[in-house]
Amino acid sequence: MSKNYNVIGHSKPKIDGPEKVSGAAKYTGDLKFPNMLHGKILTSPHAHARILSIDTSEAEKLPGVKAVITHKDVPTLKYGLSPARWDENIFCSEKTRFVGDKVAAVACLDEETCYKALKLIKVEYEVLPAVLDFLTAMDEGQPLVHEEYARNINTEIHQEFGDVAKAFAEAHHVRTDTFIGQRTYQCPIEPHSAISMWDAGKLTIYSSTQSPHYFQHYIAREFGMDIGDVRVLKTFVGGGFGGKLEPTGLEFAGAVLAKITSRPVRMFYDRAEMFAHNRGRHAQQMEITTGVDKDGKILGAYANFKMDGGAYTSLGIASAYYAGALLPMTYEFDNFKFDMYRVYTNLPACGAQRGHGAPQPKYAFESHLDNVAKDLGIDPMDIRIRNARRPDTVTPNDFKINSCHMKECLERAREISGWDEKKKNKVPGRGIGVSTGSFVTGAGYPIYRTDLPHASAFIRVNEDGTAATLYTGSVDIGQGSDTVLCQMAAEAMGYRYEQMKIVAADTETTPLDFGAYASRQTYMSGTAVKLAGEEVKKQILEMASFMLSLPPEDLDCEDGIIFSKSRDDKSITFQEAARKHFVLRGPLMGKGVYTPPKLGGTFKGAAVGTSPAYSFGAQIGEVEIDAETGEISVLGIWDVHDCGKVINPRLLHGQVHGALFMGMGESVWEEVLFDDKGKIINAELANYKMLTAMDMPPIESEVIDSYEPTGPWGAKEVGEGSTNPTLGMFSNAIFDAMGVRVNSLPLTYEKVWRALKEKREQEAAEKA
Amino acid sequence: MYMPDYEYHTPGTLAEACTLLGELGGKVTVLAGGSDVLHKMKIGNLVPDHLVSLKNLKELREIRYEQGRGVVIGALVTHDGIYRSQLLQKHFLSLPMAAHTMANTQVTNIGTIGGNIVNGSPLADLPPILIALGASVKLVGRSGERVLPLEEFIVGPGKTVIAQDEILTEISIPDQPTTGSTYKKFGLRKSGALAVVSVAAAVTVEGGAITDARIVLGAVAPVPLRAKSAEASLKGKKVSDEAIEEAAAAAAADSRPISDLRGSDEYRRELVRVFTKRALRKAIDEGHV
Repeated sequence: MSKNYNVIGHSKPKIDGPEKVSGAAKYTGDLKFPNMLHGKILTSPHAHARILSIDTSEAEKLPGVKAVITHKDVPTLKYGLSPARWDENIFCSEKTRFVGDKVAAVACLDEETCYKALKLIKVEYEVLPAVLDFLTAMDEGQPLVHEEYARNINTEIHQEFGDVAKAFAEAHHVRTDTFIGQRTYQCPIEPHSAISMWDAGKLTIYSSTQSPHYFQHYIAREFGMDIGDVRVLKTFVGGGFGGKLEPTGLEFAGAVLAKITSRPVRMFYDRAEMFAHNRGRHAQQMEITTGVDKDGKILGAYANFKMDGGAYTSLGIASAYYAGALLPMTYEFDNFKFDMYRVYTNLPACGAQRGHGAPQPKYAFESHLDNVAKDLGIDPMDIRIRNARRPDTVTPNDFKINSCHMKECLERAREISGWDEKKKNKVPGRGIGVSTGSFVTGAGYPIYRTDLPHASAFIRVNEDGTAATLYTGSVDIGQGSDTVLCQMAAEAMGYRYEQMKIVAADTETTPLDFGAYASRQTYMSGTAVKLAGEEVKKQILEMASFMLSLPPEDLDCEDGIIFSKSRDDKSITFQEAARKHFVLRGPLMGKGVYTPPKLGGTFKGAAVGTSPAYSFGAQIGEVEIDAETGEISVLGIWDVHDCGKVINPRLLHGQVHGALFMGMGESVWEEVLFDDKGKIINAELANYKMLTAMDMPPIESEVIDSYEPTGPWGAKEVGEGSTNPTLGMFSNAIFDAMGVRVNSLPLTYEKVWRALKEKREQEAAEKA
Repeated sequence: MYMPDYEYHTPGTLAEACTLLGELGGKVTVLAGGSDVLHKMKIGNLVPDHLVSLKNLKELREIRYEQGRGVVIGALVTHDGIYRSQLLQKHFLSLPMAAHTMANTQVTNIGTIGGNIVNGSPLADLPPILIALGASVKLVGRSGERVLPLEEFIVGPGKTVIAQDEILTEISIPDQPTTGSTYKKFGLRKSGALAVVSVAAAVTVEGGAITDARIVLGAVAPVPLRAKSAEASLKGKKVSDEAIEEAAAAAAADSRPISDLRGSDEYRRELVRVFTKRALRKAIDEGHV
């Protein structure tokens, strides 16, 4: 377990660091092709409106306009991400369902002409009453967002494991709390962009994407093409966080515009359009009930949720299932019931944002658990340690947990944060809170039904052995997977990381991989890469065996040197052996493939939340509240994670910091706001308040020495798991600081101020 | 996000600029740093036929001291230029600090003091402290120039008394007996936040008594607002927590906030009280900061 490796376990520099730092890295929006046109999409100004007519004639006459398209020019096949509900069209034909819904598109010689052309397209609308409040969307008499979905119900879930009623009946204490989670948006720094071009019958799309494979699959499906005739590749990507997992109008409309004009078409979203396209976090109402014994041991839990899906499904069915599925992870209890309605509204569609369905329910559950602890007079840390999940257990919803150091994470966080001391000597205005989180290490099943492996890779060593190239369909969107996978390849081969090259995320030149989502690549892509590296190593040792006249079992290779395990004087370099291999046997190559084992139970929705391995983590945060203004200062955060073997410590801690940054924003600062017509009023970064470097507190990020038996070298996920505890942690720290609970996200300064004011008024009233 | 079509002019002298402004037909907008104007144009809130850039008027980029007028700041001095001015740091550090903390580096490097004033935003950061320091603005037009108190210059959200052919050229802060001044802003994150509420205060304290006070509130009225009853309540009072509390409460009553996405009127009114108190305390205790 604690074996020292040459390449993995070390903070190797990022393989793309110099290009990014020097500005040489090209993102999709930087690319230029001969004769390239610029495209732009016209969107609906109304949340819900019938399209009476579209007149494109004036736009077509404008000099520089090369094509104008509407629903008449594109396939009518509905698409989406969750196959159970394909409900989106390239362009609206009968009605628009949110402010920003796609109506038409233009391709022009330059961007400026696009904007002018869009203004010349005349669309006549009949404005319809809109559904803007998800809590009343199911009521009788509400307008329907989609006529085929009665009461605006997009997804309905009713699950029960064990017997919750019995558990509550036998409980010492049963408590119910209701919390609200808000809409947030991922805000990747790089806008969505796509450049589409045709060569005879073949379509090539450069795209800022988290998954060339899913794009290829859905684009081929939409246009009735073989996936072999669709090539999707990415350049550098400036972040995704779940928002770039599905093709957008940029790919679909871009492909049609490129076809009509026979020229490459470049399209991108500006910041406001990104907000409108959305696919960010759902707003959610979460009612949680638990029954506990007198020591705070959880006997059963009931989660009764409603989710604002927006106008389309996106990945929202999975979001809805995830909301319940990942609740029984960090704490052990046998009885669990989950009811959920995901409803349609005339607002931008929600999807998967870092942590997917888990962070808000976790916020609700962790806040609730602190309330329960307070009712019972138990320290919040103790109630968590008492309930902490143990390794080699199975959750009530049939998830098999292998490695799990939940308790150690809590205990270590307690130690490094000074929890006991801070609890004992409370400073007025300050508060400390704890929360836990867990996340899948890759989804057990693909997004669409297929028996294809989830990841594959091959490695090609060049003819003289001075470099080896890893070919993988996995997707580096900034998180550093190219670096980590090259480290894993070099380790498995016995090669040097510094001599690795990588070709990734191109459906034509790299082997299948589902891409960057569900925290899957280090584990799943990594397993395929490890197998590929081991295949190379086997061959190079055979060649060395021939060259050194020693049996291959006596040889090993580390850091580019092949040596005899029994004799000190016998060694050659990897390079020498690789060159000889090429001369005698041709290219030295290795391949690997990964398919998860069959996972999960047989109930409806059993697949969502399955994973070959789960991360665990605990977070503690300390805040100080200005009682007069409600302003929250974050004094420190301590994160302890069980993520298995760490491949690159610096990148791992970078993931923790990034996840915390997003989680912090969701906790107190970020919220997508709408006017009473369903239009976003803060679709920009001045009033959608992502945090700045100035706001970030000191962060101590630690890992537990952990080994996941099913993972490559024992690795599992980190990228999303660290977002899951954060919202609840803030809620609990603020609760601790002021003694009253704000029950809705974000926990803004004004809400905190108001809660304190009401508390003072109540205390004054009680005195009087 | 694109710039609508417009004609771009770069007059070489102030006189030429005023003539242009007077003679051009249609909608004419003066361009200084552009941090407000270009943004408004990109989001479609401003569609001018002509943009008249002041970039060649190098004489408007200076800060100097002039006997009788005090510190004179050219309208094209950037926020960063104000922050770095030794002269301002020496006399009225409160202004450089307000300029430094008002926005991120990209904006403070390009935005100008003149633009910040002429933009007429009720939540702009420089007008409150400038008004508290009794600043005047000089307007130059085709037919001459006029000087008026900044307080009278801004008359509504985005509205000023500037005439079509006039350019705001200078801001002057007079020599004064004030003993302290400061600008306090409450934003919703530590950097790059618009003011939910801001309070500027300038005080004159002699022998432990407040002989004069100016309190200006930002983001709680259609214009940067003098909290006159708060000022009056302080005059002649001994410095004390009670006097400050009383003035803070009066300032809250003077404010006329609205509710918007950054805060409710009720919250803002309370913030006015809190930050008036804090600003007064700081200006009284620490001088010009």
